[in-house]
Amino acid sequence: MRRRRTIVLPALAAAAALALAACGSSGGSSGGGSSSSAAAGFNAAVTKVVNPSSTKGGTISFGNSSAPDSTDPGNTYYAYMWNFVRLYTMPLMTYKSCPGACGLQVVPDLATGPGVVSDNGLTWTYHIQPDVKFEDGTTVTSQDVKYAVERTYDRGKFPLGPAYFPLLLAPQKPAYPGPYKDRSKNLMGLNAVQTPNATTIVFHLAHPFADFNYVVAIPQTAPVPPDKDTGANYQLHPMSTGPYKFQSYQLNKQLTLVPNTYWKASTDPNAKQLASKITMTMNMNANDIDNRLLAGDLSVDAAGTGVQAAARAKVLSSPSLKASSDDPLAGFTWFAALNTTLKPLNNIHCRMAVEYAASKTGYVDAYGGPVAGGAIATTVTPPNVVGHKTFDLYQGASMPGGNVAAAKQQLKLCGQPNGFTTGITYRSDRPKEVAAAQSLQASLARVGIKTSLHGFPTATYDSNFAGVPKYEAQHDIGISFYGWAADWPDGWGFFFYIVDGKAISPAGNTNLAQLNDPKVNDLLNKMALTNNDATRNSYTSQIDMQVMKDAAILPGVWAKSLLYRSPNLTNVYVQPYYGMYNYAVLGTK
Amino acid sequence: MAEVLLDVRDLRVHFPTDDGLVRAVDGVSFTLERGRTLGIVGESGSGKSVTSLGIMGLHQGTRAQISGHIKLDGEELVGAPAARVRELRGSKMSMIFQDPLSSLHPYYTVGAQIAEAYLVHNKVSRQVARKHAVDMLGRVGIPTPATRVDDYPHQFSGGMRQRAMIAMALSCDPELLIADEPTTALDVTVQAQILDLIWDLQREYQSAVIIITHDLGVVAELSDDILVMYAGRMAEYGSAEDIFDSPGHPYTWGLLGSMPRLDEARLDRLIPIKGTPPSLINVPSGCPFHPRCQYAAETGGLSQTEVPEMRPVAPGHLVACHLTNDQRRAARSSAAHLEDA
Amino acid sequence: MITFIIRRLIATVFLLIVVSMITFAIFFLIPRLAGQNTYQLATEYVGRNPTRAAVLQVEAQLGLDHPLWLQYWNFLKGIVAGAHYNSGTTSTYCPPPCFGYSFRSQQPVWPQMVSDLPVTLSLAIGAAVIWLVAGVAIGVISALKRGTLFDRFSMGVALAGVSLPIFFTGLISLELFSYKWPLFPNVQYVSFLTNPYLWARNLVLPWICLAFLYAALYARLTRAGMLETMSEDYIRTARAKGLPERTVIFKHGLRAALTPIVTIFGMDLGLLLGGAIITEYTFSLHGLGLFTILAIQNQDLPEILGVTMLAAFFIVIANLVVDVLYAYVDPRVRH
Repeated sequence: MRRRRTIVLPALAAAAALALAACGSSGGSSGGGSSSSAAAGFNAAVTKVVNPSSTKGGTISFGNSSAPDSTDPGNTYYAYMWNFVRLYTMPLMTYKSCPGACGLQVVPDLATGPGVVSDNGLTWTYHIQPDVKFEDGTTVTSQDVKYAVERTYDRGKFPLGPAYFPLLLAPQKPAYPGPYKDRSKNLMGLNAVQTPNATTIVFHLAHPFADFNYVVAIPQTAPVPPDKDTGANYQLHPMSTGPYKFQSYQLNKQLTLVPNTYWKASTDPNAKQLASKITMTMNMNANDIDNRLLAGDLSVDAAGTGVQAAARAKVLSSPSLKASSDDPLAGFTWFAALNTTLKPLNNIHCRMAVEYAASKTGYVDAYGGPVAGGAIATTVTPPNVVGHKTFDLYQGASMPGGNVAAAKQQLKLCGQPNGFTTGITYRSDRPKEVAAAQSLQASLARVGIKTSLHGFPTATYDSNFAGVPKYEAQHDIGISFYGWAADWPDGWGFFFYIVDGKAISPAGNTNLAQLNDPKVNDLLNKMALTNNDATRNSYTSQIDMQVMKDAAILPGVWAKSLLYRSPNLTNVYVQPYYGMYNYAVLGTK
Repeated sequence: MAEVLLDVRDLRVHFPTDDGLVRAVDGVSFTLERGRTLGIVGESGSGKSVTSLGIMGLHQGTRAQISGHIKLDGEELVGAPAARVRELRGSKMSMIFQDPLSSLHPYYTVGAQIAEAYLVHNKVSRQVARKHAVDMLGRVGIPTPATRVDDYPHQFSGGMRQRAMIAMALSCDPELLIADEPTTALDVTVQAQILDLIWDLQREYQSAVIIITHDLGVVAELSDDILVMYAGRMAEYGSAEDIFDSPGHPYTWGLLGSMPRLDEARLDRLIPIKGTPPSLINVPSGCPFHPRCQYAAETGGLSQTEVPEMRPVAPGHLVACHLTNDQRRAARSSAAHLEDA
Repeated sequence: MITFIIRRLIATVFLLIVVSMITFAIFFLIPRLAGQNTYQLATEYVGRNPTRAAVLQVEAQLGLDHPLWLQYWNFLKGIVAGAHYNSGTTSTYCPPPCFGYSFRSQQPVWPQMVSDLPVTLSLAIGAAVIWLVAGVAIGVISALKRGTLFDRFSMGVALAGVSLPIFFTGLISLELFSYKWPLFPNVQYVSFLTNPYLWARNLVLPWICLAFLYAALYARLTRAGMLETMSEDYIRTARAKGLPERTVIFKHGLRAALTPIVTIFGMDLGLLLGGAIITEYTFSLHGLGLFTILAIQNQDLPEILGVTMLAAFFIVIANLVVDVLYAYVDPRVRH
């Protein structure tokens, strides 16, 4: 599924901030931290832990340019929130807290071990640690985990999180409505989840699904005590099982966390309890966040998607600031989906013409260039997806400006030697996407493919426009700009919703190419059924290859985020799944 | 013989502007005794208002260059410290203006404004000042002054407003009252009332009054003496009888000829003075009136070259004109024939 | 005077109802006219990959499936008498004025607005005091010393103040005085009750930036007003009475020149109380202005309605106060 990224208010701030970009940078002019502690170096945190320390105390201040969709672990879909909630929750599994590729592994958190599969892959059994306590001292039981899962069934109450459990677990008749409607009947009424004893929880799936460990790593399995659940108000003070608990929360304004006295480090090796206070200030001006970060007034930019254009210029042009920054892969691929059902793009050669004609440099530049934007993408999956193999069918890397001759050749093969016309959709409130669309328009025009641009706001892009196949057909939309990050870092987690035929939906569609290739569908099926990790992960590159052979997607950028690493933080490293610093282990000097 | 209260000698008021020096008043002299009324008459731009503002010292703070002498009760005002002149304003000499609606502050009650005038020059309590305001309103003939004192200017009719202005001007019992076009903004019927009021008050307070107007009818009623001004200079000066019975300046003839009169035979039409008032920056050489004067040719070129001085044509009657007395008599009778015809 | 006030109060209530109707219509009718139906509207609040069942659930939860007039009626009722919200077994009471629940956070709108209000109040009133005093003072001095160096210089600066947008002056002042030379580090709203010193210190930069814009305007207005007033006949009369020049300038001149200024001030303050949007955004102050931006970005209808009504309320009240004040100050208006 698609994780949401924070959106920054563009125009106003950008315009003025760019004007100030010039006033920047004469070598470490902004106060940011003492340059005496030698900054660990550019990209140091990508491969190792920077400032390892067990010093306790201090305050870590997060700045957030928007507000969390929800602090309720059952109702959030932002990458940074899935990272942040581990400060106050323990899902069944989580990602290992270690730098580098090591951090892509999913390891037990609340659970004692990965799920035990039985019943031909239909049953997954987990045992939870017996001595984990909530912040009020009560012991966590398996029923608390079951209850947490049950909550996700009430899509009316909690519409914002992913919907994997209703999708994957065995259905019941009548459909389970969630625990709020008629509590007497529905409190523990989800039959697909059983709790034979206080430390055991059993999931019954509708179909075998080999990636289930990843599914329970989603924060939705963080335990929720039913008697402390306040429904829509639970977000104001979730019951903590992590190292910190809520001290105060002014919705959309300020969140303050303080250490949870009932948390034990021995039960939760993936998190640390170092700072004595953690704050998150929300709805701050994005450029303001960058400036305060550089001046040392803030510790972390919560969104974790990188600094804005103005700060980027400052950081990159100052050697001392650059030595305190990292440029990890964000986990996103920005791409354009090519509509496989629309004439003439329904002919594979016309699609291949687009693949050849597109200028990858233009695409990357639109996103801010190699450091701030990312690397040229030649495959759909970015390199930090397990099982990724890099290949380059359409010479995206070797001929980054596009291959006009090959494109024209393909046009002949699809019967449109002089090109054709089609529409391009993109999200008009994302300046980079706008620039990318314009760049593509120019590239395609070189070979005679004339395109019209149609921009729509992000909020309605999926629900009303690009994500509505009928709309695309009616308005002759052949190319739709999009972006995707995996809900978990393997092939299925990345691919299902964007290339599987089953994922095509009449509204809110995410398979914008409307690809329904039996080979791809088959591979994805197999992935779901294969329990052997090595075999399963080998399918990732096969799917990637097939999708590229189908020319259903034009990959543009493997996104990178230029993050500024505050010199006052300790235990800083990038966790590749989140594409940002691991928030669960931070401390401060 | 009443003593001289105001003695103006060769008063000149010039304004430097980007276009040149405006000679608004260029050599005006007259005297005024207590209890007597002087009427200053002339067209717009003749300098009559500027003269009166000059006497009051109201050019202070502007770019005006004032020279000459203004002696009020023996005290020289030209060049006197501004604070001293301010002391005298409102107390020894006061002024009323043409449009009482715009001349009274719209936000303060009439009583407050009168009391204010009184309080500036008299150290008394507010209650006493207020009582005085009520008295003054009664004095100027406003009915129920005790309630009217708390009304705002816009709640008065035009005539009542002017009375209130007069009350304010007289509140400190000034020795000199200058009335600048006091009736121009009022109905004809009300005009008469106001003029009567001024007449009565003058006799009661024994103040000297200067009435400035372009309306000869007003002047005829009230003035003892009349000063005719033209282009910032004096044209003719004399008693009211002198001016009306035997005017000596062609400009005065023009003024009288263009004025309907009850005591003479009806003319078929009024005879206006040809031409327009001159620029005060480039005043015509010689006699300023010569471009418009039909008798200028008779002076043998003097009118164009030489500035005429004020010369007596009879005791107390001065005229600034190059015509000889004979020429004057001849011109008048031919004009009279013209009137009879 | 009393009848005047009563008449205006009735007109105010009527005006607020009209504003509510128009706001409601805009946010509900126009999307309909643009072809969007409530199903699509609900889809926006369901996150990714909405199933039909989920969207219908949200639609019902948000009350979007009721007819328009019923939604409006419930909305009005909520403001006056509060509302009961039933969700499954629980029933919550939302006390008046109830502006509904945010689509996104499912939290009641009114308490959020109330918690944002002190920030906007502090910002608006603080800046208002500064700009009124500074603007009028400079305007009076410039008018009295017309044509001098002071006049020309101050009017030049005023032109800059009026022309430079707040996000520019704000960013420059932050860059210089908060980041580069940390005279005002970490500009963040601190409640007056918590720490009055910090409250004031953190608001100095936003106050000055906001006040700069308005002070410039008021200086020019005051200057023009003074110049006009000082050339009025009643000023000549005041001098003719022998009043000291200071009394003439202030009691007679400024008093009259200030009347239109007071009117404008009331309107400006009323508008600002609804949220100094750009200033709050630039300085990351969580006031009603920022609340408005976020509500619009999130297309969160109850929040948009709530903040629109509140802003309208302030403006209408400011209008009323100004009218009454004007009648008090200028007697000609009363009759």
